Amino acid sequence: MRLELNIVQITKVQSADATAVRNGVLCVNRQELEDLVKQDTRLTGVRIELANPGDKCRIVNVADVIEPRARIADSGPDFPGAVGMQGTAGHGTTCVLRGAAVLINDYDIGGRQYQRADEGIIDMWGPGAEVGPYGRTCNVIVLASPANGTSVDEYCVALKIAGLKTAVHLAKAGAGLTPDEVEIYDIPPLRETAGTMQDLPRVAYICQVFTNQRVPLPGDPVLYGHHIEKMVPTILHPNELFDGALTDPYRGYAATYVIQNHPMIKELYQNHGKTLHFAGVIISNAPSNAPESERTANVAANLAKWILGADGAVLTKIGGGAPELTMALTAQRCEELGIRTALALAHQGIDASEITLKASTVFSNVPQVDAMVSMGTSTASPMLTLPPADKVVGVADGSPMGKELRKPASDIRGSFSQLGDSRLTAVRY
Amino acid sequence: MASKKLRVVHYLNQIFGGLGSKDQAHRGPQIVDGPTGPGRAIQSRLAEKGEVVATAICGDDYVGERIDEAAAEIVQLIRRYDPDIVIAGPAFEAGRYGVACGAICKKVQETLHIPAVTGMYGENPGVDLFHKDVYIVQTGDSVRTMDEAITRMVDLAMKQAAGQEIGKPAEDGYFPRGILVNEQSDRNGAARVVAMLLDKLKGRPFEPEVLQPTHYRVDPAPGIKDIGTSTIALVTDGGLVPAGNPDGIESRNATRFGGYGFKDIDSLAAADYDVNHSGYATVFTRQNPNRLIPVDAMREIEREKGIGKLHERFYSTTGVATRLETARRMGRAIAAELKSEGVSGAILTST
Amino acid sequence: MVGAPRVVQGVKIVNPMGNEEMAPAAEQRLRREIATGALNALQAEVTEPTLFDRHKA
Repeated sequence: MRLELNIVQITKVQSADATAVRNGVLCVNRQELEDLVKQDTRLTGVRIELANPGDKCRIVNVADVIEPRARIADSGPDFPGAVGMQGTAGHGTTCVLRGAAVLINDYDIGGRQYQRADEGIIDMWGPGAEVGPYGRTCNVIVLASPANGTSVDEYCVALKIAGLKTAVHLAKAGAGLTPDEVEIYDIPPLRETAGTMQDLPRVAYICQVFTNQRVPLPGDPVLYGHHIEKMVPTILHPNELFDGALTDPYRGYAATYVIQNHPMIKELYQNHGKTLHFAGVIISNAPSNAPESERTANVAANLAKWILGADGAVLTKIGGGAPELTMALTAQRCEELGIRTALALAHQGIDASEITLKASTVFSNVPQVDAMVSMGTSTASPMLTLPPADKVVGVADGSPMGKELRKPASDIRGSFSQLGDSRLTAVRY
Repeated sequence: MASKKLRVVHYLNQIFGGLGSKDQAHRGPQIVDGPTGPGRAIQSRLAEKGEVVATAICGDDYVGERIDEAAAEIVQLIRRYDPDIVIAGPAFEAGRYGVACGAICKKVQETLHIPAVTGMYGENPGVDLFHKDVYIVQTGDSVRTMDEAITRMVDLAMKQAAGQEIGKPAEDGYFPRGILVNEQSDRNGAARVVAMLLDKLKGRPFEPEVLQPTHYRVDPAPGIKDIGTSTIALVTDGGLVPAGNPDGIESRNATRFGGYGFKDIDSLAAADYDVNHSGYATVFTRQNPNRLIPVDAMREIEREKGIGKLHERFYSTTGVATRLETARRMGRAIAAELKSEGVSGAILTST
Repeated sequence: MVGAPRVVQGVKIVNPMGNEEMAPAAEQRLRREIATGALNALQAEVTEPTLFDRHKA
């Protein structure tokens, strides 16, 4: 499957009479965009706000971040199954507005928890902007309230779809332009590559997407428009993740933006054909009890071994301790089947009395699970003093979020990543 | 301009201090001018930057039998020499000696407010006891590694005295002190994990950033012989607390637990309880606290004489991102309370 | 799996001794079953971490 990304660089976003991209400036007709979002009658009080890097603007209650992307010509439907018709993602040509981001705000969520339970802060200036990526993107923020008769769950789904639609609408403005850069992602079927890459180790990526330690949002369009909380692991072509087949679960630990720019898939692509043969992506969730975790681990490892023929696998988890257990079990099964594994661990619950940095999850009797990378621990985040903001987006009136705040760095959206895009590592002193 | 010459006091046990062998382990604290035994190697390493002005010596058993008092006594002797730093040992594998060195260094820091450094082998019990409080340099298990031990101890002590930043444990050769910091690596996590996998696939050596956890073996208690006369208690880490969380148990990184009584009731009522836990969706346990602490099911069983008695006090904390040593401490404390109340078995519900 | 000597399977993280998808009476029976399984585990002799199936009497 071959995917071409036409990258158009955005350096500024501003209000305008017509939505267009001119010399790197994303001009947005906010009224037109609000009308587009209002088509979903589950939402009311629709508002579009804009924020540029350097603005003394704080954005709170950010439920997801999405990169503006639109498929060009006959490539197929955008975010298939989520925004519109079903279809397949990962092939053809897609326009990307790099340096821009769509944020969705659910300030009317009323304290409901989905995946991650924090305020999802983004600061466009100051210390907050230095630790997270979205303080440096030109942001278009979609805000709304639930209409009368709309439940909180329906409100969240509607908001997410509004965010996806906005991302497509904006990217269409750049579709006709000559791109600043073109990225090509091309991996043919396994049997076609096998011949030329016989000497390279086959590597699969086992990627957790959702954790059942929280209640899933019913109707959350996670995989081709539907949720995955009960799914068994399945195989996707890496391009599918790049091109809108998968969105981050609502208020998730990552963001749709990270999946669209998936760091692990990028790294494997860079090595593909040189040091390894990237055999495919296995997505899974983290179940909430032991037998289902075993089932997930068994199915994922079998797919890696018997279908993808993997020699090695890299694994990431999403969430807290239960996902770590599922990842550990999956890695053990892989090693038992002869697949060497390496794990990217964002850990919690460190034993500070230990001499060496150890994982908190017990791996029973499989010493071959020995390759682990630390991506930091949220409990060792430094405290930041976030200065008072001139403008706060996405809070109810009278909220104190505009004042000076003392927050751990991990509270800044995107600063702490379980998927591998941050350079953080936990160090013992 | 030459910086001030560092005044160093060295501590040795009776063997290295030249008093004799194990038979002199009962000897009390004493102090002599100048370096003794391995102290001469310290002086060499210090060169013109410092002077070993005195050597404190004490028998390992004397210290071992009264650690805190002995440390205090020794520190009183040391303070007369007005040192800038104290170096103790190295103790290598000698357990009593290592504990003495650690205790003395800790006391020096607390009382004299100057840096103190010691050195020992990884399995020395002194490491477990003191690595959080004192810089303990890693040494080999015997005097054959004396030179390297001395070098590391002196270099680290001089860095401390100069107020220089201490490097990572691997760089400066000391045991990690349990402080965890997030730092920026040279590459992102994805690049590091893929590189590590490739090394592993090729059979090349690699340095894992995280190790497998230690298997803490807990010897299982014997099975309960007569359940029909036993008192059974309920415990949870799901964060169930009385409404208002009166003990202020943290919803994450908890450091406390609570014991909550209930009398003559057949079922926990939702209105009386909160669930305080940031690691899972608490909607269902809030609806019905018996889903965490199953008083209703246990009362039925108690009525049918399936157990002797349901203990009318449940214990609760919040198990998310809990430090393992904190969890162990709380577990021991809860077990001690239950045991003193005549409980034979406990059911722990975990989320 | 985590080294505790006696472990009985619960239902799910968000509802360890219950199941919100069941009717109340059925859920009550389920809770009783898990509690009984736990009591059986307490009476068993074990030498190493053991997972008990709550369905076994």
